[in-house]
Amino acid sequence: MVEPPPSLSGADPATRDILQRLGLEVEILSLPDAQACLARCRAEHIDLVVLDLRLEREAERVLAGLHGEGPPVLVVSHDAREEVALDAFRRGAADCIVVSRDYAQVLPQAVLEQIASARATRERKALEEHFEKIRRFSEVIVEVIPVALLIIDANRRVVGANPEFHRLFHVREYDIVGKLLDAVLPAELLENGGIEELLVHTAQGRSATPRLARILDPAGEPQRVFDVRARPFDDHGGVLLVLADVSERERLSKRVGDLQRYHENIIQNLNSALLVTDRGGRITFANPIAQHILGGAPLLGRRVQEFFPRSSRERHLLLRTLTHGERYRGIETVIARDDASRLPIGISSAPLLDAAGTRVGAVAVFQDLSQIRELQHHALQSEKMASLGQLAAGVAHEINNPMGFIHANLFQMTEYLSDLRRLWERVEVLQTTLAGTEVPAVRDALASLRELSQAVNVEYVLSDFSKALRESQEGSERIRHIVRDLRHFSRGDTEKCELFDVVKCLDSTVNMVATMVKHTVTLEKSYSNLPPLRCYPMQLQQVFMNLLSNAYQAIQERQRESGSAGGKIRIRAEQRDQQVVISVADDGIGIPEECLPRIFDPFFTTKQVGAGMGLGLSISYGIVERHGGSIRVESKRGEGTCFEVLLPLEGLPYPTPEPAA
Amino acid sequence: MRGKTILVVDDEVHILSALQRALRGEGYELLTADSPLRALDILKVRAVDAILSDHKMPGMSGLELLARAALYCPKAVRLLLTGWTEEISPSQVERLGIRALLPKPWEDAELKAALRAAIEP
Repeated sequence: MVEPPPSLSGADPATRDILQRLGLEVEILSLPDAQACLARCRAEHIDLVVLDLRLEREAERVLAGLHGEGPPVLVVSHDAREEVALDAFRRGAADCIVVSRDYAQVLPQAVLEQIASARATRERKALEEHFEKIRRFSEVIVEVIPVALLIIDANRRVVGANPEFHRLFHVREYDIVGKLLDAVLPAELLENGGIEELLVHTAQGRSATPRLARILDPAGEPQRVFDVRARPFDDHGGVLLVLADVSERERLSKRVGDLQRYHENIIQNLNSALLVTDRGGRITFANPIAQHILGGAPLLGRRVQEFFPRSSRERHLLLRTLTHGERYRGIETVIARDDASRLPIGISSAPLLDAAGTRVGAVAVFQDLSQIRELQHHALQSEKMASLGQLAAGVAHEINNPMGFIHANLFQMTEYLSDLRRLWERVEVLQTTLAGTEVPAVRDALASLRELSQAVNVEYVLSDFSKALRESQEGSERIRHIVRDLRHFSRGDTEKCELFDVVKCLDSTVNMVATMVKHTVTLEKSYSNLPPLRCYPMQLQQVFMNLLSNAYQAIQERQRESGSAGGKIRIRAEQRDQQVVISVADDGIGIPEECLPRIFDPFFTTKQVGAGMGLGLSISYGIVERHGGSIRVESKRGEGTCFEVLLPLEGLPYPTPEPAA
Repeated sequence: MRGKTILVVDDEVHILSALQRALRGEGYELLTADSPLRALDILKVRAVDAILSDHKMPGMSGLELLARAALYCPKAVRLLLTGWTEEISPSQVERLGIRALLPKPWEDAELKAALRAAIEP
């Protein structure tokens, strides 16, 4: 044990000697007078002062100077009288030793006792201070902490609570001390919060997880939420309950959850594709539609630039959003999917900013435009058809009028010619009759007539006149048919279901095609007599046009591929059982077997990009279906194709009459 | 038949001329008008037995003309000659009391027969 070196002063050599024997553990300082002693005591830590009373004045000064504070004083007296000792005590001495026979034993003992006592006192004081500090600290905490603290005893009576508890539960200190817990905490909290269980566990010494206790409002929503913990407080079954009001936290948490779900809902159900990328273009979020449209491998982590063809202007626009924060709206472009297919899309992009306004990436919204493109194409086609129809109608009308009188006049001219011919025959009879005349004037006239009729070649003129008229009439007929076909083509506004001669419909289409293909392909027609059927004539015309056009294209391709010229399209209309069968057969390039099941699919095409979207057959298929019929195909690559349209013999059924009101 | 007067209306003069040619031997007195207004003027001062009119004319359609003609000359039989037979509904024709609808271009024989049938009671 290391002791702090005590020191003492005293003039008596005997005393000093005795004290020296205390050993190295005790350091002895000898000081000449009171002043030095007091100075020393102030300057450093002295455990004990030994004072000889014979130094009356000095002793007095020391006692007075140290009285109450500083080291204890042990006085040595040579006077055995009690008053001396008493007086010393009164003046603040801690102990008084009378020099006697036992002095050599008594003194060291007393010294050591005093030193130990002083030390004990010091330690106790330090402990007290320390304890006081802790006490004050916990007092502050308990007062200030924003958490409710409640202490209950083993009988569940309240021992104490902190101010926060009073505040939270609207009680006053004196109201609750000594009351049962059940009387202090709201019943709801005790029930719902599992506080009972908590207390049981704690009492049993088991560790209990903190729990959330909720007080609900009339609507069943949590009004207040507490985080409740318990700890054994002492060895007598006392428990410390800690309740923190986390209502706000719960409310915020729920709100965040709700918001998240709300946004999630929106994003997942957005009708457009949504992509979010970081600054480098790496996709950090893609909604289901985006994944669906872009197909292929999962999108997360891939760079959005991957999907734009290297050279596209739009790739650069997107990069500019990433690097410069520029916004783009409704840019039409083509995106390249994983399977190398191309898709038209309309895309808008904007920079993604964080709370401080720094650019952290980009947001892009896009839609698949292929349907819109199809509709646009369709609408354009319809418009073209409509204006073409109008043109045809106008032309037909303009032609019709002059044709009216040309036709009539030609007929009239044949009549006139017939009259003139009869007249000429009479003239010839006259010539013969007058042949033997003697009258010179008549003979001259006859000669002149003969001469002229030879010069003019009247026989030839009469017969050729007739021929020319005939041929002109044929031409006029042909024009009539063309006009009629043009008019059939232009009829589009009255699309009602009507009884129509399908063969007429077919034929006018064939004739139209014939004018287009006359030098390259032969058209072979074979029509049976068919009754009219209820249909939409314009739509059927569209179907026939589609088939004929495909046939023609197939032949052209075969010609290109094999270098052979010529081709034939055979068109048939006949009745088979209770069906009308219209077939269009060509000797063109044919359809490969693997494509056959798909040719009626929309967008299926074996043509180059831009040469048609592959809608014609699917539309035709739809039209035929709507007529209650079916369309079939047979084809062999390199040999040709045959399409058959089957329609019910009577066409569409009549609409059932509406019941009378 | 004989001695009957027919008013022929068409804005195309060559048609009028062709119609005259076609009906030459039928014995009708032929009056021609190259516009609906001219036709109405004639009807104001002459009674006719039949009116044969084109449909598509500037200012007034043939149907309209024939309808108005009925007011001026209710006894005249009315016939429409037109290249646009599909555009005219049969119900309209019936309602206006038009006796026949003839196509353009016409067949002379058909035209003559229709007129004869119309004029002969």
